[in-house]
Amino acid sequence: MSDRPNILFINTDQHSWDAISAYGNRYLQTPNIDLLHRNGTSFSKSYCSDPVCAAARSSWATGLYTSETGVLFNGGHLHANIPDIGQVLRASGYRVFHCGKWHVPGRDVRESFDTLYYGRHNIGAGGAAFFDSASTHAVADFLTNYDGKEPFYLQIGYIDPHDVCEYLHNHEEKRIPNPIEQGILTEDDLPPLPENFHYDERETVLHRVCKRIDNQLIHEKIKKAVRNWDELHWRYLKWSYYRFIEKVDAEIGKVLSLLKQTSFCDRTLIVFSADHGESCGSHQLFQKFDLYEESVRVPFIVSCLGDEVDVGKDHMNETHFVSGVDLFPTVCDYADIEIPASCQGMSIKPIVEGKETAWREYAYVESNYWGRAVVTDEYKYVTEYKPKEVEDFIPPGPNSDRLGLVQLFSKQDDPWEKRNLAEQPEYQEVINSCRDKLLSQESQLNRQPITHKGPQNVISNWGRHLREYWENEI
Amino acid sequence: MNESNSLHWSFDYNHGSQKPDFAQELIQLLHEYIDNSSNADLNKDVGKHYCRQTYQILPNFWRGYVRQNNPEGTSYIGKVVVERQKHNGDTWKYNVHYQNSTNGEDIRLHFCCRDDDYRSLHESWNVEVNNSCVDQYSRLRCEGYFYKDTEIRLRYNDIEITVATLDDTLPITCRWALFDVIPKISEEIKKSAESLNIQLLDDLEQYRPKNTVGYLETIESPIPLDGYYLHGIGALPSYWWVDANNNVAIVSSVFETLVLRETVGDCP
Repeated sequence: MSDRPNILFINTDQHSWDAISAYGNRYLQTPNIDLLHRNGTSFSKSYCSDPVCAAARSSWATGLYTSETGVLFNGGHLHANIPDIGQVLRASGYRVFHCGKWHVPGRDVRESFDTLYYGRHNIGAGGAAFFDSASTHAVADFLTNYDGKEPFYLQIGYIDPHDVCEYLHNHEEKRIPNPIEQGILTEDDLPPLPENFHYDERETVLHRVCKRIDNQLIHEKIKKAVRNWDELHWRYLKWSYYRFIEKVDAEIGKVLSLLKQTSFCDRTLIVFSADHGESCGSHQLFQKFDLYEESVRVPFIVSCLGDEVDVGKDHMNETHFVSGVDLFPTVCDYADIEIPASCQGMSIKPIVEGKETAWREYAYVESNYWGRAVVTDEYKYVTEYKPKEVEDFIPPGPNSDRLGLVQLFSKQDDPWEKRNLAEQPEYQEVINSCRDKLLSQESQLNRQPITHKGPQNVISNWGRHLREYWENEI
Repeated sequence: MNESNSLHWSFDYNHGSQKPDFAQELIQLLHEYIDNSSNADLNKDVGKHYCRQTYQILPNFWRGYVRQNNPEGTSYIGKVVVERQKHNGDTWKYNVHYQNSTNGEDIRLHFCCRDDDYRSLHESWNVEVNNSCVDQYSRLRCEGYFYKDTEIRLRYNDIEITVATLDDTLPITCRWALFDVIPKISEEIKKSAESLNIQLLDDLEQYRPKNTVGYLETIESPIPLDGYYLHGIGALPSYWWVDANNNVAIVSSVFETLVLRETVGDCP
């Protein structure tokens, strides 16, 4: 039997950090994710690299930010010369398995992994109701048959709670009564409106064009539908979102129950995370594609149900900023593989083991190609690059001359991000400091030109809309 | 009610200019069912205490589905057959066959229920799944049973797990037995306006601790139907519509709508 641990990476889709009962949320029950928390270390300052499926997943797979992977939105394309986690682990002697959602366009998961289950067609967005239980079946088949001779890396990509998107699409062309009108729930059953339902409209141009204006770039039809919602509809959205999470928690529970009965449970490291969060009414937004906390802050738990992998138990780490780019180097570290020098992420293994280690002072997040955020202990800084006059298809940055509007929030005084401080002169130094951090981080990134026509067309189209808004509205 | 196609919002999944037209297909299926139900030949060789119902599975949204060999103008993605037969006077034996071309799984469930209003799950059961996708997972067998009447245990190959400790104040049934449970209790919950709580072993594998069933409303179009809802921990609302013959004619959940195609025998 190998000395190296098995590694099980369980991920959910569109799962906000606070939607876990062990973290104090009393409107849902997640006993199985709670079990992972009790047997491991959770990170409260955990951020995705980019709040949309394909982009965030490209960072998991490579340890790079999305400016580097080439997958800066769902239609992106992973650069062919970047190795992925499956290739690297397999080359080191691990058996590497994938099950469920992958969604890293440009890379065939079946070439990098042995696939336990990947659907009739490549599993993409939506369809948890069909695919998640099938994924659990595939994992049950695997766990009850694996001989344990070689260490394995298995990643399970559950789709829920992403089906909340289908719930939203369902409202596009019909009016669905709120649950009180339906008579199926009482007001007491529903979570309250988010604290930050009302918001500061001084947002970046990118955010307005993508998510606020008439004919916005992303999900215009849903926005039109929710304009007619009453307060109970918004609360029902959250109630429904939590049911999707309970559903996937139950799937995770079956996997953990089976794992516990295997001979290799004690030496299996479990990492749990999500690609991005869900706005669920905060700032009157739905889904993701934005840089507010609900969209970018995700669970990250490192756990072991046995005692042969050294992880701090029942611990909430509130100190270290963790990013989606950290999955790849962390897995390499546990697998005793040298972390590629190009990797932007850092191994969190020393932190989980309670050791001192040098660490980053802020989280860096990208969004919708031009959007950027830096999160420090004191402030959240959100900005954007202006689109180029002539697009060269090299992801923007670092270039202070091209930065656009700014949102600045105080983490201590305004955790719900309701008051943009950017226009107050006394915060100019804070903004300068955050901007320097942004540019410093970006100066370390290796950007390659986007060469595929599909992504180029998205960038050209979105860039045209942004330029028009800058010219006519600002 | 959607004025353009007369479908209730709970099972109206027409989406813009999508083809085939969901409403048209659903209404056609219902009318075919009504026409077939007057065909006495279907029941001539069927003994008492036997029932078989076949449902077509329609996709609720416009993307992500896989269809196989569909006739032109149809969008269905599979079917489910729910067969039950009374056994020894106080037990119903169920055989359910669920085929869904989208995820590639072909599932057969075999289980027993007591002859009570809630079709309480009884003794042991098994699930056989075959997967037609090209990946490693091709089949799975699961056996389940009650341990000391307080726990539900499942066995996959040689590994056994406990999936639930039962709440002894609530009946425990299976999603596929609800095709009999809801018609049985419908009058009672419609009259009382009270909802009822049950425990569910969804698909005989996934335990849902507390689900609520209640009356929704009555509609006259496309055919007269009484609507009921079901939701709970880990379960988004699904809507169950019972026709004048006390058969569940439509079940609408997040991703699929089941529409009754055929009833054979004397349904409980």
